[in-house]
Amino acid sequence: MRKIIGPLLTGLLIVGVGTGIYLSAGKQLSQLEKATIRGLIGSEKLDFFNDPRVIEALSDHGLEIEVKKSGSREIATRHDLKNWDFAFPAGIPAAEKITRGYAAKKSFQVAFTPMVIASWLPIAEILENNGIVTKRDGIYYFIDMKRMLHVIEQGKRWTDLEHNSNYQARKSILINSTDIRRSNSAAMYLALASYIFNDEQVLENNEQANQLTDRLANLYVRQGYTEHSSAVPFNDYLVMGIGKAPMVMAYEAQYLYSAAENKLRPDMRLLYPEPTIYTKHVLVALTDAGVKLGEVLTTDPKLQKLMIEHGWRNEDISGFDEFISKHNLQVPTSLVNVIEPPSYEVIESTIQKIEQQHYDGAH
Amino acid sequence: MKAFHLIILSFVLLILSACTQPIEQVSILAGSELKDIKPMLDEIQRETGIQIEFQFTGTLDGAETLATGQLYDMGWFSHAKYLSLLEGRAGEKIIHAAEKLMLSPVIAGVKKSIADRWGWCDNPSVSWKDFADRASSGQLSYAMTNPASSNSGFSATVGVQSALAGGETLQPEMIDSEAMKGFAKGHRLTAGSSGWLAEKYMAEQGRVDAIFNYESVLLGMNESGHLRETLCLIYPPEGVITADYPLLLLNKNKTSAYTKLISYFKRPEVQRRLMAETARRPVAPEIGLDKRFPNSIVMELPFPGKVETVDQILTTYLDKQRAPSTSIFVLDLSGSMRGENLDQLKQAMRNLAGADKSITGKFARFRAREQVIVIPFSNRPMRSQSYEIASGVGNDPALQDLRRAVDSLTANGGTAIYDALARAYKTASQAREHDPDRFYSIALLSDGKNTQGDTFHQFREIYNKNHDDYAGIPTFPIIFGGADKHEMISLAELTGGREFDSTKQSLAQVFKKIRGYQ
Repeated sequence: MRKIIGPLLTGLLIVGVGTGIYLSAGKQLSQLEKATIRGLIGSEKLDFFNDPRVIEALSDHGLEIEVKKSGSREIATRHDLKNWDFAFPAGIPAAEKITRGYAAKKSFQVAFTPMVIASWLPIAEILENNGIVTKRDGIYYFIDMKRMLHVIEQGKRWTDLEHNSNYQARKSILINSTDIRRSNSAAMYLALASYIFNDEQVLENNEQANQLTDRLANLYVRQGYTEHSSAVPFNDYLVMGIGKAPMVMAYEAQYLYSAAENKLRPDMRLLYPEPTIYTKHVLVALTDAGVKLGEVLTTDPKLQKLMIEHGWRNEDISGFDEFISKHNLQVPTSLVNVIEPPSYEVIESTIQKIEQQHYDGAH
Repeated sequence: MKAFHLIILSFVLLILSACTQPIEQVSILAGSELKDIKPMLDEIQRETGIQIEFQFTGTLDGAETLATGQLYDMGWFSHAKYLSLLEGRAGEKIIHAAEKLMLSPVIAGVKKSIADRWGWCDNPSVSWKDFADRASSGQLSYAMTNPASSNSGFSATVGVQSALAGGETLQPEMIDSEAMKGFAKGHRLTAGSSGWLAEKYMAEQGRVDAIFNYESVLLGMNESGHLRETLCLIYPPEGVITADYPLLLLNKNKTSAYTKLISYFKRPEVQRRLMAETARRPVAPEIGLDKRFPNSIVMELPFPGKVETVDQILTTYLDKQRAPSTSIFVLDLSGSMRGENLDQLKQAMRNLAGADKSITGKFARFRAREQVIVIPFSNRPMRSQSYEIASGVGNDPALQDLRRAVDSLTANGGTAIYDALARAYKTASQAREHDPDRFYSIALLSDGKNTQGDTFHQFREIYNKNHDDYAGIPTFPIIFGGADKHEMISLAELTGGREFDSTKQSLAQVFKKIRGYQ
């Protein structure tokens, strides 16, 4: 219907109508033609930009945003970036790549979220019994990634674990992730695993990475079919439950947002990897309009609060604390053991190697 | 002047407000089991302003249709994993958005008396391996769809294969043909679609002990009141594969209609209605399962991650593991077939003999170990020709002979359908007596009414007289050209087969479909 009204009003104006009509129609027309700020975003931020409260807060600054979602790895390698005002991928590596490849105006670190393993009380207990998970302060679960990956690499099944009466699954112990060829959350898992496999050092060059390709590839190939975007495995966790998704590599933000939306079940638990890694959400402004948006997102307290409502952490630490206690969540407010991801080039070349050697080079 | 324009404007607005909500049409290529959504179409249109035009097809078939670029606004199948793997291989974006709308695991239903004998009912530790062992020792026979034509058969096959591989995700090199052979021994009833398999099971309940199908179908069977024995539902602990029914956005211009449909289907009341009416599980975590569903955890198996693995599973099953088929083709060569009809028939047969290089064509072609018998007829049945397929690929001499024979077919004379069919049954029953461990079936093509020899009624008498020898050999008649539709349907009913309509599809497509049932 709206499609019809637009051209119709324009048509009437061209005919030359009286002032009364002109004024009311003119207002609508200006809204139709108002320059919008267009950006490419990682799919995990779509809900935020579609939130009516966010749209209103941005419009208070005279900003109207149009976003298109895309895989973060895809955004970084697109050839049409010059047609957009900003790029807002997940993860520092992708943002770095864009900043370097294009004459970016400025970049803004808008928010961050740690990688977590979304899991379940029975799983947490079994892993605790096997010395892989520890409970701190009586509430937070931390998972020792070195031990976890060791068990995974041994090819053990859930039924091979001792003190396990609650999860009799005769299938391999694996952490579910997204498709390593397509999505940032899988790349963050890669960053974590490569750190462990590289004797707890961040990968610095391709030579180090080459030695680990097979071990890293196995973490994904053994999962079989993996999804393209981080929203899907997390949704499987919510909907299909423990039988499908005993452990899912996820953004903490996904879990917290679901908590705020009352979508969690009582036996769901977050496991914090040790070490963990942050996914930083960096807005790369490609035009002046993009710069304006970056400034607003990093300075407007209302928008920062809304970001927290969507599960992210940012500079408003007390706002985050409030959110956690309001929803009664078992979430540590600060994390100590956090590593940096390898550079974009090293991650990218490792993924390409995995793709060539373990997925028949198909994209 | 001003007043005049105001009048025009108000007139325009009046017209606009008269047509309240415009109807948007959306074409959806959907899996045939989603026919159960049809009763909701009016409500969907009322609530969303979207008029859905469904086109139904099989899962693998549909994946191929979409992967080769056929135009539909959306797709809706039991899962989109195979399509997604094809998309990945082609490096081309086909699916612009996907949202799962319902869930139904593929599981086993075992007759209660048998399940009780083995302590299987409500026993969570009965595994795929147990099924393989019982089938291998000849104690368990079952109904399952052809894994190359239907997702439920495919999911069950992957389940057993994974279990035999020790719970690991299947990779091409892990497909074990020997161990799987034992499981395949029990496969006695086959079909190209999950829904038809269920009907066939109900019609011939004495034939097999168990059936693999969607939980939703098995629940429906138990509730139907037509089962002599309840089915105990078994969810093996190695895991199962759950159909997740994603609605796929294929045409980006339909994004807003897509969003409307998703939000409609995700409404709690719609999710509840889907659960009540289709016996599929809801995707909204806040909605509890009703009491028909077991309370226990459903373990999920990983789905293979590569197209090659899927192809390997299917090819190995069809060529090496499953009992081989004896497929009889009774083909009309009467004068009316001359020209276009005969050309279509030749093309259809050539495709099965290896000319169709498409994905579904690859799985539909004549298989290794298969026996193909062609019985052409006009005034009377002609000499039958038998081909023993060896490898089923490349220069297989039997395929070459078959192709040559097909090329030389000519059409002339009358139409003695039932004399030819009687001949086919005689041939099939004699062969079965000699070698019972094969699938026997007859595909019948005629483009006109019976003009010579026995009538349908006379054939029925012959069939009934020889019922013990002929039962279990279904005929799949094709409704083509001037064929007698009602007679073909009665014939399918009589023999436990199913008719195929070729008035809307080419013969080649219909033959390909029938392959799922042979």
